[in-house]
Order: sequence, then C-alpha cells, then structure tokens
Amino acid sequence: MYHFLLTSRYLTSRIIPLLAIAAVALCVALVIVVVSVMTGFLDMIKDSGRTLMGDVMISYPVSGIPWYDDLIEEVEAMPEVVAAAPMVETIGVLRMPYPRGAVKEPKMVQIWGVDPERFAKVTTFGETLMWPEVPESARYQVSHDEAYGPIIDTFDRTQRIAILRASDWEDTEGMSDSQVADMGSALTQPEWYEHMRHLMLDKGDTLPRILRDDQRLDMQKVIELEQAGRLPIDLDVLAEGLSMSRNGRPGIVAGIHVSDANYRDSNGEYQIGGNGHWWLPRYEGALTTIPVDATGGTLEPETVLMPFVNEFSSGVFAVDEIRVMIPLGTAQRMMHLDAAEIVDEFDPMKVVGVEPARATMILVRGQDDIDPLDLRELVRAAYQRFTDKMIETQPGSVSPPIEGINPSLRILTWEEQNAAFIGPVEKERALMRTLFSIVYVVCAALVLAIFWAIVYEKTRDIGILRSIGASRPGIVWIFLLYGLVVGIIGAVIGLGLGWLITANVNGIHDLLAQPPGWLAWSLAAVTVITLLWTFLKLFTGRILPVMLGLMISILLGLLTALVFILDAQGGVVIWDPAVYYFSEVPNSIDLPAAIITMIGAVIFSLVGAAIPAARAADVDPVKALRYE
Amino acid sequence: MSDQGKVGVPLLEAVDLHKTYRMGSVDVPVLQGSSMKLDPGEWVAVLGASGSGKSTLLHLLGGLDTPDPKGGEVMYKGRTISTLTRGARNRYRNREVGLVFQFYHLLPELNVLENTLLPGLVGSGIRADRDRARELLSTFGLDHRLTHRPRELSGGERQRVAIARALLNKPEVLLADEPTGNLDEDTGSEILELLKKEHQAGLSIVMVTHDRAIAELADRVVVLHHGRVDQDQSLSIQ
Ligand SMILES: Nc1ncnc2c1ncn2[C@@H]1O[C@H](COP(=O)(O)OP(=O)(O)OP(=O)(O)O)[C@@H](O)[C@H]1O
Ligand SMILES: [Mg+2]
Repeated sequence: MYHFLLTSRYLTSRIIPLLAIAAVALCVALVIVVVSVMTGFLDMIKDSGRTLMGDVMISYPVSGIPWYDDLIEEVEAMPEVVAAAPMVETIGVLRMPYPRGAVKEPKMVQIWGVDPERFAKVTTFGETLMWPEVPESARYQVSHDEAYGPIIDTFDRTQRIAILRASDWEDTEGMSDSQVADMGSALTQPEWYEHMRHLMLDKGDTLPRILRDDQRLDMQKVIELEQAGRLPIDLDVLAEGLSMSRNGRPGIVAGIHVSDANYRDSNGEYQIGGNGHWWLPRYEGALTTIPVDATGGTLEPETVLMPFVNEFSSGVFAVDEIRVMIPLGTAQRMMHLDAAEIVDEFDPMKVVGVEPARATMILVRGQDDIDPLDLRELVRAAYQRFTDKMIETQPGSVSPPIEGINPSLRILTWEEQNAAFIGPVEKERALMRTLFSIVYVVCAALVLAIFWAIVYEKTRDIGILRSIGASRPGIVWIFLLYGLVVGIIGAVIGLGLGWLITANVNGIHDLLAQPPGWLAWSLAAVTVITLLWTFLKLFTGRILPVMLGLMISILLGLLTALVFILDAQGGVVIWDPAVYYFSEVPNSIDLPAAIITMIGAVIFSLVGAAIPAARAADVDPVKALRYE
Repeated sequence: MSDQGKVGVPLLEAVDLHKTYRMGSVDVPVLQGSSMKLDPGEWVAVLGASGSGKSTLLHLLGGLDTPDPKGGEVMYKGRTISTLTRGARNRYRNREVGLVFQFYHLLPELNVLENTLLPGLVGSGIRADRDRARELLSTFGLDHRLTHRPRELSGGERQRVAIARALLNKPEVLLADEPTGNLDEDTGSEILELLKKEHQAGLSIVMVTHDRAIAELADRVVVLHHGRVDQDQSLSIQ
C-alpha cells in the first residue's frame, strides 16, 4: 500500500509533521492536566466526606438529640450500616500557647466532641493523625518537658513569683505579687522551664534558694540524667491522639493548620516553627465555649484547660485550620448537653427524673457498595422507628426532635450537607469541559493549517501519483492516514506529557513557589551557551541558524530572568492552601477523560486533515506536472 | 482493455483533438484538430516548437487530461479513453501507458527502488513486483543506487529511474515528454539508447521533442504546428 509508505516517509523526513504532532500533543496534554486536576479536586471533595464525616448524618444543632445511644443502636442494627457515632458540635475560643509571654493568642475554633473510638469507625480519623511519634525536631524539648515538667508542677505560688522576679524576663520591680502571679499563670510549662533554666545557668545560687529540699533532690536527679545524656522520652503520641487523652486527662486533637507555627515546606512536608519549639503537643490549651440553655439563651462561658495530644490533617484546609476535637463527654459537659438529674422545683434535693445526654449530630457510615441516597432513606426510616419507640418507652420525658415538626432536624448525605460547596465545583468542571472543546477546534485548525501547507508543498507529488494511476480517493486517503497518524502519535505523546505534568503537579507547583537557586543558574548557563553557539554561527554566513539561536536565546533569557525574579520575590504560590480547599493539588490522572480527550484529538486531527486532503484530490495533475 | 488489438487497428490514436485552456475570460486554443496514430511496436516522435501543444497532446494521450467537449477523442486499441469511468482511466494510466517527463518527477522522500515500485503499489494495492523493479534497475545500471534518494543522483540516473518506473507494470506504450530536455548531449544519448533498446524489445513509444535530430531516431515524425499536425511523414530508419 503506497499510502502507508508515503505517510511514513512524509512523517519521518520532514519537520512540518513534527510541528503538527507537537501541536496535537500540547493540546491533549493541556486538556488532560486541567480536567484531571479538576476531577481530582471533585473526587477529593467527595472522598473527604467519608474521611471527615461518614456518608449520612442526622443533625439537630445546639439542642441535640436525646437518647442518641438508642438511635445509634437502631441505626447500627441495619446490615447496610458499618457504624454510627455521636458527636456534639459548637464553636469556641482556644487560647494558643504562643507567643512567648503573658499575652497569648486566642483563636476561633470549631469544636467537635467525639467518642474517638466510635468516631474512628465512621471516619478515617485514625489515619489523619499527624504524629505517630514525637517528631525528630521536637525530641530534645520533649525530653526536657517530660523530665522537668513534674517538678515544675509542684511549684507553689510563692516559688513561682520568686522565679519570675529572679529571672530577667520582665520588669517586675514595680509589680505587686498578685500581678506577677497573674502574669505567671498565663505561662506555659515549657516557658517555666525556660525561666528556670535561665536561673540555673546564669544565676547559679538563686534557684537552689527558691526550691524546697525535695524539689532540689528531684532536680539534682534530672540534671544528672541530662548530663549523662539519658533523659527518658516517651515517643508514642499516637495512642494519646487515638484516645484523646493524656494520663487520663482529656486532650485536644487540633487541625494541623490551627497552630500558626505549622507550615508546609516546598517538599510538601510539615515543619514545626521554632525548629520543634512550637510543637503543639508540648503545650496545653484553654478551650472556652458558651453553653446554651433549653430556652435558647446563653449561660456562663465554660473553660477547660486540656493538653494538646496530637494534631490531625484531613487534607481539607478549611477544616484543618479551624477544627479541634475533644472527647465527647468533655464537650457535652461544656455545652451542658450531658446527662443531668431533674430535681423538684420546690425541693432541690428530690430527684424527679433524668435529663438524657444529647448529641447534636449522629454520623453514619454505610457499606462500601451502598449508594448514599439509599442509605439516607434507610437512616430516615430508622430515625422514625427510634422516635416512635422513644415516645412509647419514655412518655412524659423529653422527646426526640421529629422530622417535619423540628425544621432544624436534618438527615442528609455528606454531599447534600456540602451542596453549596460541591455544586459550584461541579458546574465549574462542566464549564471547563465545554471551554476545552474549543481546544479541539484549535487543534483541528492547527492541523488544518499545517496540512494545508503540506499539501501545497506536495502538489507535484500528487500530480506524479495521479499520472501513474493513483485515484482521487487514494490521494485523499494518504492525507487522512497522515492526519490519523499525526493525531494518534500526538495524542499518545500528549497523554504521556499530561501524565508527567499531572503526576508532578505538586513538585512543579512547589518549584514555582520556591525555585531552587541551581535552576536559575543552570538556565543562565544554557542561555550563555546558546548565545555563544549563535555567535559562532554568524561566521557560517547562514541566517537561519543565527535567527533560530537568537530566538532560543531570547526565550531562554526571558525564562532565566523569570526564575531569578521568582527567586528574589520568594516565588509564586498558585495553589495557596488558604484559598483552595485542599492543601495539595490533586495529582492523579483522570483516565476516562484522558481517553476521551485522546479520541477527540484523533478525530479532530482527521477533521483538520480532511479539508487539505480534499484539496489534494482536486489537484489538476496536468498543472502539477507542467513545471519543475 | 485486455482484448488484443485487432489487425489494422492502431494501438493509440488521436482523432481530431481540440483542447482549449481558459485564462480568465480568454480562451486559449492549444490543440485545434490534431490527429495522429501509433501502431503496435511503433516509435513516433512529435516534433514542435515550444508552446505548440506537444505536452498537451501527450497528456491527452496519457489520459491525464480530457479533450474539449466534442473536441475529438483518444482511442486506445479502438476504445475511447475520455469516456471511460474514472477508475478505468486510472487503470489505463497505471497499466497501459507509462509516462516519462523532462524533469524526471520522482518522489523525493522515496528511494530509487521505492520510486520504481510505486506504480505496482498504486495498481495492485497489495503486492508490488520487487523482482521486476530490481531487474529493470539493474538493466539500467542502477544496482548500486537502490536505496539512494533522488537528490543523490545525477540527472541521467534520475531519468533512468523514471523510465524504470514507467515500465514497471509492462505498459504497451511509453509516453515520453522531452526525456532528454534537461540533460547534456552525452547523457541524453545514453537515455535515447536505452529507449531504443526497449523499442527493439517491442515497446511502442510516443516521444515529444523540439529537437529534429532526436526526433529522427524514431520510426516516424509528426510535426505539431499551432495546434495542428501539419505533416505526417514516415522517415526511413537511418
Ligand atoms: N493550464 C493552462 N492554462 C492556460 N494555458 C495553458 C495551460 N497549460 C498550457 N497552456 C498553454 O498551452 C500552450 C501549449 O503548452 P504545451 O506545454 O503543451 O506546449 P509545449 O509544446 O509542450 O511547449 P514546451 O516545448 O515549452 O514544453 C502554451 O502556450 C501554454 O502556455
Ligand atoms: Mg512541453
């Protein structure tokens, strides 16, 4: 078949078809990258439903659902349900351990009170915990915290005042003792350690005078251990995170971006500010919330001091920057949603009933193969059974909210709950797809223009082929085949390119955010080499290589300048986690979309080739052959 | 077209051909009633000044172009070419005639062997007669050039490849348009020598030239003058 022979020769011996292939490949890569990132983004949002909240939730904010354990029993009895977990949600203020000194930063947080074990069955909570063990950079400090902490805890008020007055921390001279004590009460344990350390190193005799004998002895032991380099350290913080407690005390698991000290470096790894100093689980946080009474009015704020036991990273920035999790019981007490005895109005000693504990939300996780909408209907039915039962078994007592009567009771899938957010993203993707159909047209137009030029150039060949008996459809077929091959090769290269870019999108992004110095310098070197080459080509007397060299040099030069500017400005962050929902750019290729894109590119290459091919068929062989 | 030419029927015949080209709104009459015939095994030279319509006549004979409506006809073995279907005309060009041009007209991307094989590939669509191509090229002294590209060959070599290509499908007639027009005298006579050999082996030839000396190599010379065949003279072979 002369078509294949000619197509393959035209492809391999010319530069123009390479241009066509490059054009197709770039178009395909572009579409694949954009659609993959968009799809990845949507998938991440949808997946994060499971990660964060399970599939379906029953929510009754503020007042909460009573007898929720009965409800959970009813829900979990269904074979379609894997697990259900109670939760209370509210907002509060968290006092952060930073900055140093008596004035600490307060932070608005969303408080989730969860039963960690049950919560982990519904969500992937366990997998989102940030610290399986104490991070390398914080170990030195943590070992000191653990050794000196128990001693510091035994300091009484007078000792603390004395330590603060002795250290050169603040000008305490004009202050009264109670003022100094007030300031001291705001300090974190590691800060106390720092003041103590300061006295030990610079004012050798001060601390011993302040300490009691037993404290001095304990201190001596710790100092000896420290000098021997054998300070013990308990590295395991995972268990504390999973149980949300430390030494029996309830603890806080905070989102990774709650603390401003945490940041992500250009390798995408989390770093702790102050080189480990501000590692949150070293500290305690005071969490304050305002409970609401049965009438909807507010009560006195409740504050609980709790250690930070771990941090979590859900990957959703909007969640990671605001949410803290504490044990369910603690949260219920803070919000006055815990079980309470109901006493007689006139005789406070007489107990007349029990106010059941409440949960503002029940999270339900279904089996993998069940559709969330079906699950929602099952849960709705279970809720109905639950209310019926409660009205029957607890007559006269508080009754659970009922759908239709209590409008703020909602039974929704995760997607419905977040429809306001998911909807626009889905629309955006549809829009993107439509917009990118234009890329196909561009692709077809490029192929058309390039093939038009090829046909023009090949007019004489067409005349020759016709003179030896090639038919007009035969000529058409040569160029269609040519377009097909260009389309296929371009699409395959485009897929490879698209995959390469998509898979490394975070690396590319970080490179832009923080271009390494060597990049700028090596680009500069390549530019200089190209310029030299161009200069040498001046002596050959040919203009094309000089022109090409000049063009490439200018391009490279601009690129180099750009990288230098980026370097100087500290880079550009396109995917700022504060703006986008997720802290990482989705980097998996959307294969179905990629395949559709490739097929589209091949079809449109054919479309682009069709018109020049028709023109080729119309070439008058006599005219084509008449002259050299 | 497979039927044998009957006795007395010319192999190829132009009957009162008219061909007019339009240039804008002006009609340019090129052929104005040219007639000629070629008997089986004959070599006819068409002699004429530049612009007299020699190439046009040859293109009509080769089925590359069609005469004006009611402008006469080209007969091959007694059949009209211009009224054939497109497919049949393609087959006619592919199998019955071979065309050779002044400027060789080889495909630059294909090597010598592939260029020679082209009519085979175009015709059968599947199998090309490689042995035939090699044999032709070796008779034309191009054994060592099989994988060369046309641009690596001299003019004479290129023309020999073009002739080999024209002869691949064993056509009855070779239509040559100034085959030596672009070559120096020595190389030109080599090509003519080669044509002579093929003619002696039974090939019928129509050769266009403006050179009387070259024309006289043929069995018969036809002179084209202002689109008309002025004389139809037979020359004795010298
Ligand atoms: N497509 C065309 N449109 C208009 N005029 C044409 C066209 N093709 C050929 N002619 C004219 O027809 C006339 C005959 O051309 P043709 O090429 O047949 O002459 P020729 O005898 O082969 O000349 P030469 O010896 O220069 O090759 C010329 O005057 C030419 O300009
Ligand atoms: Mg001519």
